[in-house]
Amino acid sequence: MACLETIDLCHRYAPDEAILHGIALSVPRGSVYGFLGPNGAGKTTTLRLVLGLIRKQRGSISIFGQSLDTHRVDILKRVGSLIESPSLYEHLTAAENLALLQRIHRVPKARIGEVLALVGLADTSRKRVGQFSLGMKQRLGIAAAMLHRPALLILDEPTNGLDPNGIIEMRDLLIALNREEGTTILVSSHLLAEIERFVTHVGVVHRGRLLFQGTLDALRRERKTVAPIALHTADDPRALRVLAEAGIDARALARGIVMPPMPPPSIAAINRRLVEHGVEVHAIGAERGDLESIFMDLIGSRAQ
Amino acid sequence: MRSVFLDAFCCEWLKKRRSLGAWLVVVGALFTPTIIIVVRLIRHAQLAALYADPQFWTSLWRSSWESMAIFFVPMAAILATSLVVQIEVRNNAWKQVHALPLETMTIFLAKFAVIMVMMAQFFVLFDLGIVLSAWVPSLLVSGVPFPNAPIPVRAFLADTAVYFVDCLPIVAAQYLLSLRFNNFLAPIGIGFLGWVCALAALPWKHACFLPYAYTMLDYLKANPGARTIASTDGMHAFAIGWLVLFAVAGYAGFVTKAQRG
Repeated sequence: MACLETIDLCHRYAPDEAILHGIALSVPRGSVYGFLGPNGAGKTTTLRLVLGLIRKQRGSISIFGQSLDTHRVDILKRVGSLIESPSLYEHLTAAENLALLQRIHRVPKARIGEVLALVGLADTSRKRVGQFSLGMKQRLGIAAAMLHRPALLILDEPTNGLDPNGIIEMRDLLIALNREEGTTILVSSHLLAEIERFVTHVGVVHRGRLLFQGTLDALRRERKTVAPIALHTADDPRALRVLAEAGIDARALARGIVMPPMPPPSIAAINRRLVEHGVEVHAIGAERGDLESIFMDLIGSRAQ
Repeated sequence: MRSVFLDAFCCEWLKKRRSLGAWLVVVGALFTPTIIIVVRLIRHAQLAALYADPQFWTSLWRSSWESMAIFFVPMAAILATSLVVQIEVRNNAWKQVHALPLETMTIFLAKFAVIMVMMAQFFVLFDLGIVLSAWVPSLLVSGVPFPNAPIPVRAFLADTAVYFVDCLPIVAAQYLLSLRFNNFLAPIGIGFLGWVCALAALPWKHACFLPYAYTMLDYLKANPGARTIASTDGMHAFAIGWLVLFAVAGYAGFVTKAQRG
């Protein structure tokens, strides 16, 4: 069952400036959903719409099975969020910042110390937030988002400003939240390698269109249909001639021969043909297999 | 059951802790009494006669309120309101506020109530400052006892309440402007312009229609030498009317904003 669902979400900031085109997100309950896209793809606009921070123009948003239009306050009681840079009052301390929210969310005061310890800010009780580093502010923003043990955590680029160690800690924290408390996490990022390590589901957005949505495994399967095929041989000119005879549009690049995407049986057939013509094949297969490559291929193949 | 509004109010009250707006209220309220103390200590030779005057409190009250009614109250209302709203803008926090499980009306009213309470705090501190400005010179200058004349507490409190009502249109107008403009200078500039216009229009017979003029008109109405001919009858009803009008317009603008933070 979807924890968060949007249908035909469209948005434009100006009549001739469409930002989102029919976004249909479906974030399964209990998942860690990576919302991927390059800068300016429409991630933050989507998340702002989902939180009611921008007036919806078209489409529908439902969270926990309730419409955001009619149950906004009830929904927000169970949602924690961090959109872009953390919203923190710099003249107050970390504990005071959380005390503001603790009062509204009506959680015990002891929870403030708990979340500060969870994000590694337990020893900053007297320091004003204005004196915090960017990474510390980011941690505090996440502490604020999870203060009331939300059922859904919406994080927009949460690793911004964190050092590599901080990124690992953050990832472990989100994994623990998801596994131990069952929190559904919707996390946007353009740091694809970072997301790949802990998300269960992925949505890829580019120029306001959702290019892919599904499990991480399903995205990897997409690779087979969109990733170019790389070929390394002992005699590339001869291999190119064989491929041309077979009607395959192959090109010789500095990194080897590159062929258009094709399914595994076709790759096997090419390999056989090359060997039969006396070409020694060193390697053949889909070029690059990490999520970043798949993501770039998706953008390249499906976007206008 | 705990009130959601009370929680929102406490939350807003905590936000202003150590803020410029909070300090401005204290410094602004105690500025005139401090100047009076300094002047009286410099002119200490005249204090014995002054403190023996049966009209001591009325005279002190009038002289203290002169700068307040004309300048400090409008300025405090303009600056305090803008600074309180600016806390959200400067810290990029409106988006967090709007993502809280609070009705938009609650958010609007809680912040508005905090500004009003800050203004009330400003007046109370000023009144205490007036008493201090009488007491401190009597402590420091020998032969000058604390005035024998009783403090007309009820009259002072009534006057204070009237000035408080007078400043509410400015607070509401500045709240509307501060919510509308993210740039801090815009509400301050428009507010300052409103105050200058009100000051220039004091001799005008319809000055009582100007929302920034009421504290000045209230002070000047009892001053026979003042250059104002505006009728002050029903002036406080006008003030309340402006308050309601600006508050409703401010809320309408707030709730219909396309982007919240």
